[in-house]
Amino acid sequence: MSQLNSSHAPQLVSDQGEVRANGWTLLADDEAIGVDQAVLSFARAVNELDGLNGRYGVRIAPGDDVRLLTPFMSKIALIEVAFPGYRDGRGYSTARILRQDLGFDGEIRAVGDVLRDQLFWMMRCGFDSFLLKDADPAGAIKYARSLYINAYQSAADGLKPVWALRHPA
Amino acid sequence: MYQYDQFDHAMVAARNAEFKDQVERRLKGELSEDQFKPLRLMNGLYLQLHAYMLRIAVPYGVLSSRQMRTFAHIARTYDRDFGHFTTRQNIQFNWIKLADTPQILEDLAAVEMHAIQTSGNCIRNTTTDQFAGAARDEIDDPRPWAELIRQWSTFHPEFTFLPRKFKIAITGATRDRAAIRVHDIGLQLTDKGFDVYVGGGMGRTPHLGHLIKSGLPGEKLLSYLEAALRVYNRYGRRDNIYKARIKILVSALGPQEYARQVEEEWATLDQAQIDAPHAEIARIKSFFPQPAYADKAFDAAALDRAKAADAGFARWVRNNTLAHRRDDHVSVTISLKPTGLPPGDASSAQMDVMADAADRFGYGELRVSHEQNIILPHVAKADLYDLYRLLDQNGLSSANVGKITDMIACPGLDYCSLANARSIPLAQDISQRFADAELTDKIGDLQIKISGCINACGHHHVGHIGILGVDKQGEEFYQILLGGRADEQAALGVITGKGLSAEAVPAALERLIKLYLDLRTDETERFIDTVGRLGRDAFAGALHEPA
Ligand code: HEM
Ligand code: SF4
Repeated sequence: MSQLNSSHAPQLVSDQGEVRANGWTLLADDEAIGVDQAVLSFARAVNELDGLNGRYGVRIAPGDDVRLLTPFMSKIALIEVAFPGYRDGRGYSTARILRQDLGFDGEIRAVGDVLRDQLFWMMRCGFDSFLLKDADPAGAIKYARSLYINAYQSAADGLKPVWALRHPA
Repeated sequence: MYQYDQFDHAMVAARNAEFKDQVERRLKGELSEDQFKPLRLMNGLYLQLHAYMLRIAVPYGVLSSRQMRTFAHIARTYDRDFGHFTTRQNIQFNWIKLADTPQILEDLAAVEMHAIQTSGNCIRNTTTDQFAGAARDEIDDPRPWAELIRQWSTFHPEFTFLPRKFKIAITGATRDRAAIRVHDIGLQLTDKGFDVYVGGGMGRTPHLGHLIKSGLPGEKLLSYLEAALRVYNRYGRRDNIYKARIKILVSALGPQEYARQVEEEWATLDQAQIDAPHAEIARIKSFFPQPAYADKAFDAAALDRAKAADAGFARWVRNNTLAHRRDDHVSVTISLKPTGLPPGDASSAQMDVMADAADRFGYGELRVSHEQNIILPHVAKADLYDLYRLLDQNGLSSANVGKITDMIACPGLDYCSLANARSIPLAQDISQRFADAELTDKIGDLQIKISGCINACGHHHVGHIGILGVDKQGEEFYQILLGGRADEQAALGVITGKGLSAEAVPAALERLIKLYLDLRTDETERFIDTVGRLGRDAFAGALHEPA
C-alpha cells in the first residue's frame, strides 16, 4: 500500500511498529519550560541548553546545522526532524550525522510530511519514530520493513552492505 | 560485462514487486495520479504529451546482444515497434501503457535490467566512454568503477530526495568522449587515481565543472562521493528548481570552498564502512576482461580490394571505425542517424539485426553512445566487410559518424510538454539538406546539437553548432550557438546572430558551412578550429540572408 492516506491525522509509531501516545510538547520560543518532555526550537536549544539541567527534545528544521548541537548531546533525549514536504531530503543527512558522526543515541523522530513510502529510507538513516500520516501506522512500518532484505551501502541502521556479505571477513 | 549475483537479482525483484503493487493500486483508483507520480518517477515512468514513456537504464551504456533482443521484444510487444536511444546512454519507449509496465519490468529483470533511478532527484545512471575497454587511448577501464557507483547509488537512503537530479560521468581515456565537464560530477581516471570535476551542467545556466580533487585513490572513491553528495544535499538550493543543481551551489560557494567542505565532511565519515574493499573491486573488475579474441587472419590487401570495389564500404570504414587497442581489430559505430529519420530511433527489426551483428562479429557486446549511436566495441578487421553488408541490408550503414548529419536532438515539441519548438523535424530537414556524402565528408568533423527549449536535453551548449528552440510570440524560433565542445577542451557555445525560423535554419547552415570551407586553412582544420581561430563574429553574418 502506498501514500494512500496522506491526509490522515498523524499518529506516533516506533520503528518496531508500536503505536504510542506522544508525551512531548513543542514549546514556543517565549514559553517558559514548565513541562516535562519539552521540545525546544533549534535556535533556543543552541542558545539555552548550556544553562539548563535535565534532558530535552529539540526540533530541527531542514536548514539547521545539526552539528551546532554537538556540545549538548547529553542533554537531548529526542530530536524531531521536520519534513515540511517529503521532497526535502535534508533531514536524511541530519539523521545520519546525528547517529554516525555525533554518536547520538536518543530518539530521532520524523515529523511533518511523513509518508509510508519514505519510511524505508528514514529507518536506514537512523530514524526510530515517526509522526506518520497513515490510516494504519503499524501496517506501514511492516510494509516498509518487508521491502528490501539487503542494501548496497552502509548507513545508520547497522545493516551490512552487500559487499560485506559477498566477502565475509 | 557485469553479471548479477543473487543479491543484485533480489534487489531488482524487490523493487519490481513494490512497483507492481503501486501500479495495481493506481489502476484500481486507490491512488490518484498525484499520489502515484512520485512513485512512478522512481521507476523511470514519465507521463508525456500523449502517453507514458518508460526510460530504461543501460548501465554506463554497456549491453549484451541478449539485452538488445529484449529491447526489440519490448518495442514489438508494448510499443509502436521502435525505441529511442538517448544522450544518457539509455533507451526510452514513448508509447507505453501503464498496465503493461509491471510485465515489461519483469521481462527486463530476466536479462538483468531495470528502470531504477532513471528519473527523480536522485543519482542517475552513470555514463562513460562508449569505447571503454577497447580504445587505444585508454589509460584505465572506467566500467568497473561505473558499476561500483551503480551499486553504491542504488537506493541510497540519504540521497533519494536531493535538491535535483544528479549525473556522474567517467572517462578513462585521454580523449574525453563522455563529456565529463558538463556533468554534476565528472571523473577522469589517470594513472594516479581520479581527478574529480564538480559543478558542470547544461540547462538554462550552463557551467563547466571545476577540478576539486586530483589523485583520489579508487578505493576511496565512494566515501569521497558520499561526502560530496552530502554537502550538496544539505546546502544545495531547494527554493527554486532552476537553481537547485550542484553547479549553482559550487559557483555560489566557489569551487575551493566547496572542496574544503567536502574534505571536512569526508573526514567525519566512517570510510571503512562505506568504501568497498579491495576484494569487491577485484570481483567487479573480473567481469570486464578483454574478450577471447578470435585469431582471424587479417588480409590487408583483401580489405583494400573490397574498399576499392565498394565506395560505400570504403567511406563507412573511414568514418565509422575507430582504432582499437589491438591492431587486428577496430571499434565500429552503427549510426542511428540515417537521412530524414529521428536521431537515435531504432526499429525492433534493427535492434534484432544489431544483436545478431554483435553475436556474429562483436563477441556479443554492444554500447550506446551519448551521441545516440550503437557501438560494437570489438570487431576483427577480417569481418568488416561481412558486417557492413549485414548492416547495409537493414538500413544501418549510414557512414556519417562525427559528421554534420550525426546530430543530437532532444524529443522536442513532438513529445515533450516543456518544449518551445520542434527538434526532430528540424534535424530531419538538416540531414536532408546535407545528405550528399561527398559534401558531408568534405565538411569533415562537425557536431550539431539541438534542444527544443532552454533545458538543453539536446546538449546545444556544447555543439560545435548548437541550435536552441525558443518561443517568440507563440512562434517557433531557433537561436544558433557557435563554438561549443564537450571534449577534453570543453567550452560553451555562444548565441550568435538573431533567431531564425525553422524554414530558415537549413539555408543559414548552408551559408555558414560554405563560409567555413572558404576560410579554413586546409581540410585538416575542423569547423570548430576555424571558429576558434577567427572568432564567432566572423561567422555571424553568414547566418542571415544577405539584405
Ligand atoms: C521528453 C521529456 C523530457 C523532459 C520534460 C525533460 C526535462 C528536462 C529538464 C527540466 C531539464 C533541466 C534540468 C536542469 O537544468 O536542472 C533537462 C535536462 C536534461 N535532460 Fe531532459 N527532459 C526530457 C527528455 C530528455 C531526453 C529524451 C534526454 C536524453 C536522452 C534528456 C536528457 C537531458 C540532459 C542531457 C539534460 C541536460 C543536462 C543536465 O542535466 O544539466 N532529457 N531535462
Ligand atoms: S530540451 Fe526542452 S524540449 Fe527538449 S526534451 Fe528537454 S525539456 Fe523537452
